[in-house]
Amino acid sequence: MKLCEFIRPASLAQARAALRKLGPKGMPLAGGTALHFMPGKAPVSAVDITGLGLSYIRQKGAFFEIGAATPLSDIQRHRGPRWAMHEICRRISTHQIRNVSTIGGNIARVFPWADLPVVLLAMNARLVIYSGKMKEMGADEYFSSQPARLFRGGDLLAAVKIPVLKAHHGFGSVKAARNAAAFSMVTIAALLELKDGKIADARVAAGSAIPFPKRLPSVEAALIGKEPSAEVFRAAAALAGADAKWCKQEGMSAEYVANLAEVSIVDALERAAEFARGRTA
Amino acid sequence: MKRHELAKHLKQVNHSVTKIDAMQLALGKDSYVADFLPKDALVIKMLWSPHAHARIKKMDVSRAEKMPGVKCVLWHGNVPRIVHCTAGQGYPEPSPYDTFMFDNKVRFVGDRVAAVAAETEEQALAALEAIKVEYEVLKPVFTLDEAMAPGAPVIHDEPEAHVPIPITYEPKKNLVAHVACEAGSFKKGMAEADFTFDQTYETPYAQHCPIEPYTSMAQITPAGRILITTSTQVPFHCRRIVARTLGIPVQKIRVVKPRIGGGFGCKQEILLEDVTAMMALRTGRPCLWRFDREETFRTGRTRHPFHIRLRAGVKKDGTITAIGLECINNTGAYGGHGLTVVSCSGGKTLPLYHCDNILFDGKSYYTNLPVGGAYRGFGATQAFFAIESLMDHMAEAIGMDPLKFRQINHIRPGEGSPIFQALGEGREGLPMTVGSNALGECIVQGAEAAGWEKRQDWRKKTGRYRRGIGMCCLMQGSSIPDIDMGAATIKINEDGSFNLNVGATDLGTGSDTVLAQIAAEELETTTDKMIVYSSDTDMTPFDVGAYASSTTYLSGEAVRKAAADAKRQILATGAEMLGLKPEEVHCEDAHVLNADGSKKVSYSDIANYSLYQKNQYQIIGTASHITKKSPPPFAAHFAEVEVDTLTGFVKVLNYVSTIDCGTAVNPTLCEGQTEGGTLNGISYALTEEYLFDETGKMQNASFADYHIYSMRDRPNIKAILVPSYEDTGPFGAKSVSEICINGPAPAIGNAIYNATGARLNEFPFTPEKVLKAIKAVKK
Amino acid sequence: MKTNTCSVSLSINGEKKTFATRPDEKLLDLLRREGYKGTKYGCGQGTCGACTVIMDGRAVYACLLYAMQAEGRKVRTIESMGTYDKPAPIQQELVAAGAVQCGYCIPGIIMSATALMEAEKDISDETAKEYMDGNLCRCTGYEKIWVALRRTIDRAAAEPKKKASAKGGKK
Repeated sequence: MKLCEFIRPASLAQARAALRKLGPKGMPLAGGTALHFMPGKAPVSAVDITGLGLSYIRQKGAFFEIGAATPLSDIQRHRGPRWAMHEICRRISTHQIRNVSTIGGNIARVFPWADLPVVLLAMNARLVIYSGKMKEMGADEYFSSQPARLFRGGDLLAAVKIPVLKAHHGFGSVKAARNAAAFSMVTIAALLELKDGKIADARVAAGSAIPFPKRLPSVEAALIGKEPSAEVFRAAAALAGADAKWCKQEGMSAEYVANLAEVSIVDALERAAEFARGRTA
Repeated sequence: MKRHELAKHLKQVNHSVTKIDAMQLALGKDSYVADFLPKDALVIKMLWSPHAHARIKKMDVSRAEKMPGVKCVLWHGNVPRIVHCTAGQGYPEPSPYDTFMFDNKVRFVGDRVAAVAAETEEQALAALEAIKVEYEVLKPVFTLDEAMAPGAPVIHDEPEAHVPIPITYEPKKNLVAHVACEAGSFKKGMAEADFTFDQTYETPYAQHCPIEPYTSMAQITPAGRILITTSTQVPFHCRRIVARTLGIPVQKIRVVKPRIGGGFGCKQEILLEDVTAMMALRTGRPCLWRFDREETFRTGRTRHPFHIRLRAGVKKDGTITAIGLECINNTGAYGGHGLTVVSCSGGKTLPLYHCDNILFDGKSYYTNLPVGGAYRGFGATQAFFAIESLMDHMAEAIGMDPLKFRQINHIRPGEGSPIFQALGEGREGLPMTVGSNALGECIVQGAEAAGWEKRQDWRKKTGRYRRGIGMCCLMQGSSIPDIDMGAATIKINEDGSFNLNVGATDLGTGSDTVLAQIAAEELETTTDKMIVYSSDTDMTPFDVGAYASSTTYLSGEAVRKAAADAKRQILATGAEMLGLKPEEVHCEDAHVLNADGSKKVSYSDIANYSLYQKNQYQIIGTASHITKKSPPPFAAHFAEVEVDTLTGFVKVLNYVSTIDCGTAVNPTLCEGQTEGGTLNGISYALTEEYLFDETGKMQNASFADYHIYSMRDRPNIKAILVPSYEDTGPFGAKSVSEICINGPAPAIGNAIYNATGARLNEFPFTPEKVLKAIKAVKK
Repeated sequence: MKTNTCSVSLSINGEKKTFATRPDEKLLDLLRREGYKGTKYGCGQGTCGACTVIMDGRAVYACLLYAMQAEGRKVRTIESMGTYDKPAPIQQELVAAGAVQCGYCIPGIIMSATALMEAEKDISDETAKEYMDGNLCRCTGYEKIWVALRRTIDRAAAEPKKKASAKGGKK
């Protein structure tokens, strides 16, 4: 994407005003890496949001709040009680990209291969959007379709709130990729809530091998009320085909990718169960 | 003294001298082509064909020519139509002349259509969009079967297409080359066997991926000549081919090779220089053309994909009674290296094992896909995948350990092979017996390092993740005998330092350092006294360039002879200064001295005497070298892998790369070659792949989608240098750099088999292929 | 198409500089045209690492960043790392280990390694690999680079005081 102008607003309000005025000719820019994947020959004005204090990670009550302009490498290096976000961040692209690419950039416009939407869906994250004032939205609503729809009027993603996992919560993510820095073939994330040795609640999400990241309701339904065992996980994963139509990837057939996704779902669930049983990440 | 210890007494050679340009490069000093860009340089951009096969019916560049900043547009309507070959090989080339600077036909997605030189890249790109081209789209040819089919579309229907030497070339049938030979009787050998095998194998496209993409710059000198500064492995071939393509004398061109950011064979091709030179001529301005990464993948040269049929017969006692190797390569849209790569697929592999009855048949066909070229390993890479996979297969059939099966069959020192004579590169080879050969020791040391003795049959393995160990043996050559020539000049300076000027082309391998060590050894001085200048067609003697594993062995011997020539002069002048006869003195530690050392004079004093004082002359040695042999280096590789039997993902845990490269002139650099080539081979075996869409366009032309390994992916690689002494090479040396890339595909394939019982005859071993093969295994 | 010209002020290797640029000029192009040519073009796609520089302590791809994103930042290039007389420890070790083959990736490798050593303490192999995963090398197989990096890290760890005082002196 070509740039014809570089604007540095001093506040969120100024940034929003500039983007409102520019309409489709404006583009918020933090790390700037996503711009390289955007088609379109018409040059746009970049509105730099890196100077607006949106780069932070802090725990606020039951949530970790991550500023939208926080680079992935900061999330990767962060440690907190039952913090699990670093696992996926260390698997995204390369060190230099993680240093500039931000959580906001990764989810304000979702590319098919993006990993964070999958994780945030499973974690039941909340998204904070600035529209003159701050408003919150659950991940299910936010990722119900391309989030870019939410920002056409100049509104901006301000922060991501991730629930602090409780003692009986377990989280696991799996990214199947050809090598360390490669785009994902399949990304799976799972959150399990265990109670009395049974799965009380489950959120399982998938991405990369499907056109848009989504939760897998049939898989989740097959888990709830059951014991967290390998057989249960395998039986649940076998239902994923009802929720997602897997696409061919990197020259490999859709059938293969479906198999890879099922195995990855089982692996993610096993990691989540292990986490819930007290594995320190 | 044992043969392999002959190099032990050497003072410069067989020592890990620090690479002489390493600090310059580590400091980031101006070193590569683009670092020397003048401020007023124009930028060249190319309009590439979007079609795999089409005729250009109409073209209009007039709008582009008038665009802001545009200085020149080149297309088939305004350049000479001179047929040539882009492969940087000896002359006349054993490759078809089937290429024009620009043609009215395009033959693959990424073929040249028109070039623009403009003040800025943006202006050049804008001008490309203003060029109007009307294509008549022709039926494309994407597979070998399509290319060979009767009535197939003819890719090279131009009347000029021909080969400059009498070899098979039938462009009407898309046939680029055909070479065949038989030793003994294949049929008889198969009849004698207890077990016979008939397998087919497929090997994939791959790109060299030098981190410096193709880059070339041309400018007009004050004297009116063209100075081409270019990232090339073959500066002298470059000069000759550019002169031909532009229709100007060689005399008008100077090609300079600065530091090169890697080549691995892809820069053994004249892909940019004709256009940069023509642009400089037309505009009078310096012109830079640098491929971006996508262009490097799509238009740059690649490794030829091969279809291989391998038949063999073996007796219960392990005697190989017959080998029949049939290779067909897909050379893509142009035929450079088509013949030589397929010849080497037999010539550099079949002598490895004893067999009286050998049949070889090699063919090369055009398709409308990216163009094959030279790539480290050069045919041997592809054929060894088939041969070394089948060796394991045969060993299993006769119930013999695959290591032992190789041990009893591999070629020994002093033995020859009819293949050496039967298969050369473009013509028959030379009869040869193997001199140095430490393959036996390579196998023993490699097996120990890899823990071969703990290897278990795959049938005993259970669980999701299964480990296995596989091995293979390899050979290559060292230069092309009777064809390649290297030359060197060496002269002394006042302080006893020497200018060593060589045509040999250091493309990052460290050959400047290796050649300096050889010169220093011969001259009895130290390597740091050598000022090496390599590859400048005005300033250095000729050399064919960096390919065919020739630099250390061939150019190294030229350097040793040049140094010996200079040494004779040093001895004569030293003797004169000491009042002795030349036969009464010798050289030692940068001095000329008499037998008991009571009289001596330093090289510095000799230089000053000869330059300033009496009977003045320049002490200067010069020599050329050709070879009658191409002594093979040998190697045994061992891979340990872990296979995820649920997903088919394969992880290499450990890799052992042994090599017999004769005397390791610089052991650290030899290890570096071996480690680097091995890792390249590992990603070639597992993750590198060209994915095409239905139009023949490569879909994954970026490092994000074409997967080479990073430091995070790299397995443990152990390189083991096993010494031998090659009498015909400089201080016992033979080649090192190519052989190592040939091992990983068969070694990993054999390791996957040992882990799971799944045998794959096609790579890269993608998770899907591996999983499919595992599912097909019957216990 | 009209693009505005603009200017960017940044610190390069400790010197404050202001350059005329365009909004879509990449930092790599600006650096190279201003003479910082040790920073290389390898892919232009943010994948190979030959263009790695350090910006405010972090290794970044200069081929992906717009020059304007460097406004007010501290950028360090390979030119700041060492000289023939006084090469940086990582440069010494890379040269000594035989890790420099074609050398095209090496400036980027050095910048990533420097960012690693300045940002982390008690560097595990895993952490080191994560910092180095954005620099491709096709020549070496990374073996010698890895040896040199590990030696440099261990050398620095063995003499922490000296390093701290040298750093203080610079400021």
